[in-house]
Amino acid sequence: MSVTLKSLRKAYGAAEVIKGVDLEITPGEFCVFVGPSGCGKSTLLRMIAGLEEITGGDLVIGGKRMNEVDAAHRGIAMVFQSYALYPHMTVRENMGFALKFAGDNPGTIAKKVDAAAATLGLTKLMDRKPKDLSGGQRQRVAIGRAIVRNPKVFLFDEPLSNLDAELRVHMRIEIARLHQELKTTIIYVTHDQVEAMTLADKIVVLRDGRVEQVGAPLTLYDDPDNIFVAGFIGSPKMNFLKARVQNGQLALVDLPGQTLPLTQSLPEGSEVTVGLRPDIFKRGGTAHLDLTIEIVEQLGAETYAYARAGADIDGQPLTIAVTEGRDLRPGQALKVTFDPARALLFGKDGQRLR
Amino acid sequence: MHTGLTRRENLTGWAFTAPALVLLGLFMIYPILWSLYMSFMTGKGMNFKFGGFANIYRLTQDPIFLHALGNTLTFLAIQVPIMIILALVFAVALNNPRLRGRAVLRTAIFLPCVTSLVVYSVLFKSMFADDGVVNDALLFLHIISEPIPWMNDPFWAKVLIILAITWRWTGYNMVFYLAALQNIDPSIYEQARIDGVPARARFFKITIPMLRHVILFTTVLSTIGTLQLFDEVNTITASQGQGGRPADATLTLSLYIYNLTFRFMPSFGYAATISWVIVILVGLLSWAQFRLAREK
Ligand SMILES: Nc1ncnc2c1ncn2[C@@H]1O[C@H](COP(=O)(O)OP(=O)(O)O)[C@@H](O)[C@H]1O
Ligand SMILES: [Mg+2]
Repeated sequence: MSVTLKSLRKAYGAAEVIKGVDLEITPGEFCVFVGPSGCGKSTLLRMIAGLEEITGGDLVIGGKRMNEVDAAHRGIAMVFQSYALYPHMTVRENMGFALKFAGDNPGTIAKKVDAAAATLGLTKLMDRKPKDLSGGQRQRVAIGRAIVRNPKVFLFDEPLSNLDAELRVHMRIEIARLHQELKTTIIYVTHDQVEAMTLADKIVVLRDGRVEQVGAPLTLYDDPDNIFVAGFIGSPKMNFLKARVQNGQLALVDLPGQTLPLTQSLPEGSEVTVGLRPDIFKRGGTAHLDLTIEIVEQLGAETYAYARAGADIDGQPLTIAVTEGRDLRPGQALKVTFDPARALLFGKDGQRLR
Repeated sequence: MHTGLTRRENLTGWAFTAPALVLLGLFMIYPILWSLYMSFMTGKGMNFKFGGFANIYRLTQDPIFLHALGNTLTFLAIQVPIMIILALVFAVALNNPRLRGRAVLRTAIFLPCVTSLVVYSVLFKSMFADDGVVNDALLFLHIISEPIPWMNDPFWAKVLIILAITWRWTGYNMVFYLAALQNIDPSIYEQARIDGVPARARFFKITIPMLRHVILFTTVLSTIGTLQLFDEVNTITASQGQGGRPADATLTLSLYIYNLTFRFMPSFGYAATISWVIVILVGLLSWAQFRLAREK
């Protein structure tokens, strides 16, 4: 089922929290809302679910306007961050509870519940209460309870944030597998850009109640529209350097005396921000920077070096991610080279200069 | 013992707890044991002698005791369920964030149980007098055609006592439910909305089961309270210092114990036996309630 948002708005009294969101989610798509805490991701998701009233605009699910439709009749199922399992019911009862009110007979309910339990590997836990399950198992029950209802759209609100790091990776892969099997539309909220990158067909970056950019994960990574998206997507974060156009070159304000070649035509004297992803330094190229290493982090497969123009110069250190870096040491001089076409330029308003 | 404490430390510990232990022993444990001993004594006033099971036999032959027992169990069976259900309904209603003036209503419903007993009794007596405001209001609304004899009819006197203790204790129980409700993750109710669970099922299949432990707790507390019912029947349905009126229609076990000890020729032994009847009833009923509430 497709989901369409048309200038959707939400206000609590005078405070506007969602400030006009337009979005088109195609059937079967895995769409991730990502953004910093408090930007309105949960609110937007809950408006789609029918748990928050819609102040303005239209919500269309499967071609039908849903603004006033009750949450139970929107064809959606939701998985909450706290799992929201009914604590006094067994796994089996939790999964079958909604079906009772949908008018299914006990035989059908049992069949649907067993099928979902088999998909999620819950068969052995069916008679346990939620308090006797681990975090990952509870998560699975919450997902199972959603699957059983055979919804047209799945909604997830930060489903993995209560799990430890290892389990989070594991469940992330399970959710991806589930989406491949079910091919149902999923809307997934997270503040974790790694989750967004790994799961999404389409990422929606939100900030302060507005959409900053919508696109496929690699589109946002390679071709961000503005500094916010560039800085939010990608780990480690993109490096930003202040620069001024001088004599057809980019004079770096933060690295006095150093310049980068200018790859697009800009008026002399323009002030810009140069965005350099830490991983562009892995390959050679015609641009180069002379730096001094301050701190080295060895991760095994990769090395992160944090470096400045000189040991005595202030300012944010640059993050350099390289694969051949086992011999890097703090205090060492480092000359990095890269392809100048990979440098992204942003204007004073934070928008990308293309 | 291998507690790792030296003998000296042990003694210091006992020295610190000694005052509390002495008080506890003197005013709690000693009277309890003494009353158990007394319950086997017969005789009037200070001259009593060992009577074996004579008091227990007397219980079975004593029409006033059986009457008081009947009254007490009637109050228990009718008042506790009414109050528990009422408290639950109030709690769920007052937990709704869309309700206006919640704080004021909560306070208003809780206030009776901290009101002075004297003030409350005097007010109830005057409100429920034959020409009191309750009868006036009911007459005015044409619900009744002549005043209800709240104080002088055995049936209505019981109703009055039930009204009074319900008024006094509902808010107290409600506070426990409100606290429990506020501990429930709100997403559970949001999940129920998405699941299409109707309001009735939400109350009976989700709220009540999740409050089960608190409901058990308050039921046991209320049962104990009602078995010891004394204040109201010795003030509201009393005149000239004699409670339980009219014609012992509101006589309870506690009031009978009081009468046996302080109003009639003192019969300490027999009164002690009746107080142990209350203890045994409390034990039995609490045990039964725990069994009923146990998870299947
Ligand atoms: N019931 C409410 N009343 C007023 N403001 C709210 C309410 N719920 C959320 N907000 C505000 O809306 C903004 C977005 O919240 P939310 O959608 O929960 O953010 P997140 O992106 O972290 O999920 C926050 O600034 C929050 O303070
Ligand atoms: Mg949130």
